[in-house]
Amino acid sequence: MNRIIPKNEHELVDALRAAAAARRQCELVSAGTKRNLGRPIEADDILDLSKMSGVVSYEPDELIFTAKAGTPLVEAMAALAECNQMLAFSPTDWAMLYGKERGYATLGGIVGTNASGSRKVKSGNVRDHLIGCRFVNGGGEAIKAGGRVVKNVTGFDLPKIMCGAHGTLGALTELTFRVVPTPARAAAIAIRDCTPIDGLSLLRKAAGLPLEPTGLAYLPSAMCSESVAMIASDLAHTNGVALIRVEGAEDTMIDKIARLRNTFSKLDIVTLEDETASALFDEIGSGMPFARSDTDIWRLSVPATHAYVAASESEAQFWYADCAGESLWLALPASRDVDERLRNITAKFGGHAMLMRANKNARARLDTFEPEPPARAALSRAVKAAFDPLRILNPGRMYEEI
Amino acid sequence: MPLLPEPDKQILSRREEIAAHLRTIVPDGVIADDVTLTAYDSDALTAYRQIPLMCVLPKTAEQVSALLAYSARENIPIVPRGAGTSLSGGALPLADAILLSLTRMNKILEIDLENRCVIVQPGVTNASITRAVEGDGFYYAPDPSSQIACTIGGNVAENSGGIHCLKYGLTTHNLLGLKLILPDGECVRLGGKQVGDGGLDILGVVAGSEGLLGVVTEITLRILPCPPAMRTMLLAYKSVAEAARTVGEIFAAGIIPAALEFMDRRCIAAVEDFCAPGYPADAEAILICEVDGMEAEVRDAAERIAKLACKTGASSVHKCHDDAERDRVWSGRKAAFAAMGRVKPDMLCMDGTIPRRELPRVLNEIAAMSERYGLGCCNVFHAGDGNLHPLIVFDVMNPGDLERAENFGAEILKLCVEVGGVLSGEHGIGVEKKALMGEMFSDADLAQQERLKCAFDTRGLLNPGKVFPTLHACVEQGHMHVHDGKLPFGHLPRM
Repeated sequence: MNRIIPKNEHELVDALRAAAAARRQCELVSAGTKRNLGRPIEADDILDLSKMSGVVSYEPDELIFTAKAGTPLVEAMAALAECNQMLAFSPTDWAMLYGKERGYATLGGIVGTNASGSRKVKSGNVRDHLIGCRFVNGGGEAIKAGGRVVKNVTGFDLPKIMCGAHGTLGALTELTFRVVPTPARAAAIAIRDCTPIDGLSLLRKAAGLPLEPTGLAYLPSAMCSESVAMIASDLAHTNGVALIRVEGAEDTMIDKIARLRNTFSKLDIVTLEDETASALFDEIGSGMPFARSDTDIWRLSVPATHAYVAASESEAQFWYADCAGESLWLALPASRDVDERLRNITAKFGGHAMLMRANKNARARLDTFEPEPPARAALSRAVKAAFDPLRILNPGRMYEEI
Repeated sequence: MPLLPEPDKQILSRREEIAAHLRTIVPDGVIADDVTLTAYDSDALTAYRQIPLMCVLPKTAEQVSALLAYSARENIPIVPRGAGTSLSGGALPLADAILLSLTRMNKILEIDLENRCVIVQPGVTNASITRAVEGDGFYYAPDPSSQIACTIGGNVAENSGGIHCLKYGLTTHNLLGLKLILPDGECVRLGGKQVGDGGLDILGVVAGSEGLLGVVTEITLRILPCPPAMRTMLLAYKSVAEAARTVGEIFAAGIIPAALEFMDRRCIAAVEDFCAPGYPADAEAILICEVDGMEAEVRDAAERIAKLACKTGASSVHKCHDDAERDRVWSGRKAAFAAMGRVKPDMLCMDGTIPRRELPRVLNEIAAMSERYGLGCCNVFHAGDGNLHPLIVFDVMNPGDLERAENFGAEILKLCVEVGGVLSGEHGIGVEKKALMGEMFSDADLAQQERLKCAFDTRGLLNPGKVFPTLHACVEQGHMHVHDGKLPFGHLPRM
């Protein structure tokens, strides 16, 4: 096995042309923090994309940011923070889930795995913010897609399908995002001692208020002591807590918090200030409450109204909910039995389940991603073939044939 | 006339037989006489007209699926159509194609306030969604100017935006799920009531695919709680550059307005003649800026914007005090197309996007082109997201006018690409701009997109002749070029 380390797109093109000609399959890595996410790959070579790194251009008053795909997330965030701007999807570093150190995850890896956090509830996923990209496909062709402006219907929206494709369609080299101003202030309210059914219902109610909440999470009592930020804010011993974060300018925040306190007036509420709120939602979005244990982890996404039933039927003893209940983190074994149980839930309510963390054997054996019905699976295979007909890019990472 | 595929004579000769078969699928919804079909001979890009082979108006997804399966079997092209408000000829019929009109599939299937979504059929009009949920304090954010007439199916196909997409995103950002009928009649579900569906983001590429990848029969959309407060301001400027600078300063100050619209002097003059919205007569440019949210937020943002506008040289800053005033200010912007329509009988509405900072340069160059082509042109601009709509007026009865107008439009779009923008912000490529795709994309870029098309539509039957400058058969596109000149690995079994 070779480790191929292209320094620029040109070298990457050469590397992939050679790989295609020799039919050598490649595992795409950058910082390598998420190599254990998805189905295991038995590749011939490792294609290390980390050297293609650095901010290419940043125009704060156009709200546009372009960087090489190997740019570390922390570097991108620091550049944006200098102008009080940010990526609106709360890009998330999952390194600790896989026993790695945080701080090395790259933009390319974030895009490839759709690693967005708690802000998804307001701002959507990574794909809603990637407006352009360059990548090299499985034929060794450098492709430009999208543009450097937000509004664009010029040809197919390929940047979207590159998000969450786990490197199966192309090796990303350059990414252009739309960015947003960082809100002046954030705060959250924690509603203490609420049961899962009540807590999840409160989150849905908050989602329907015109407050544009940027975080809506529920932690059952067993999880409250698993969060560092919860312990720090004296919430570790509550009997289930619903968390609602709002953001905005100073004056607005007084309004927003008042409106929340008013809406939930009969309940036991504490207000959490800016840094505490941010730390909490950073932990929640990145699966940190499970990071210190070695349990297998699934992520189940269902329509918010079904969150409680889905969590119950999953039989998970340890779980919590993000994004108003649309995103459930579950500590459940990577077993055939659990796999079937979760697929029954998604069949009944819609949605999808993903095995986020498990040993290699389990990830190879089980449906790591949501299984697709035959017509959809055939379409996915055809899409794969349109980008990587020889299947040399991360083959089998998502599905056996993708 | 742009190059459309040569009609298949054999299909033309089978018209009666095909109509008879379609009637077995949709007994009460097949139009095959030329007189009635004239109503369908164009979309809103009326410079191009073509009577379709026939028009079929299904009522159910099962009928759509049966129609597509039949057309695949018989190799007959299909052109999907909503309300026909496309400005790029995306729904322009073909002589040998069945026009598939989805306007009878116009039901709102489900309103789910707790999950903040609605499920609708494709023929539902954009505006009727907000109407259906506003009583409960919700609305659907994308609001293209044709929203009273245009359908959600068409919005998905063109990824429509509108005035408020600056803050709330385009159709694609408010789209949760689709039921999509593939060109062979198979049905796939994409997304759902939750964000994402776990597989490849096929939903993401179907949005804005201009009817080339499949026919949508069910659409799940995100609805949002109505903001409690809103404030509209009219800012006037003595120079375009000052107006453009204000836009940059607003963002730099961390404010994302709900809408930020720009009109140039010619456009101001045209709408003043038309409906007298009371814009300052001596302004070179105006900005209409709207902020929404909580009361304090709106008050604060409006204050700060007023200060920024003064600092950047606005000659007047006016805050609307009530709904009547707000309506009056917006009436001029909304009447821009109609007002220009009175100047000359015909109009081309262009649609490029540029980086905002290039606005002064682009407007100067457009003014010079206007002189050179001898055709009037005014500019409205979604200033927040850089989406420019030059409106070129001409008279199709004047020999050479149409050609000059098209050349003028093409030159504007090339300029948009040259300054770092794109060919279309929200109207799509359709037939209008397909010849210009090469300005933005290399052959390899376009071939990649065409291969994606082939993944959905191997026979190339869905909306052929649109978007791509040249029509390739999928057998040509199914392969990537390998650089020693041989077709790559054609002998290998494909998945």
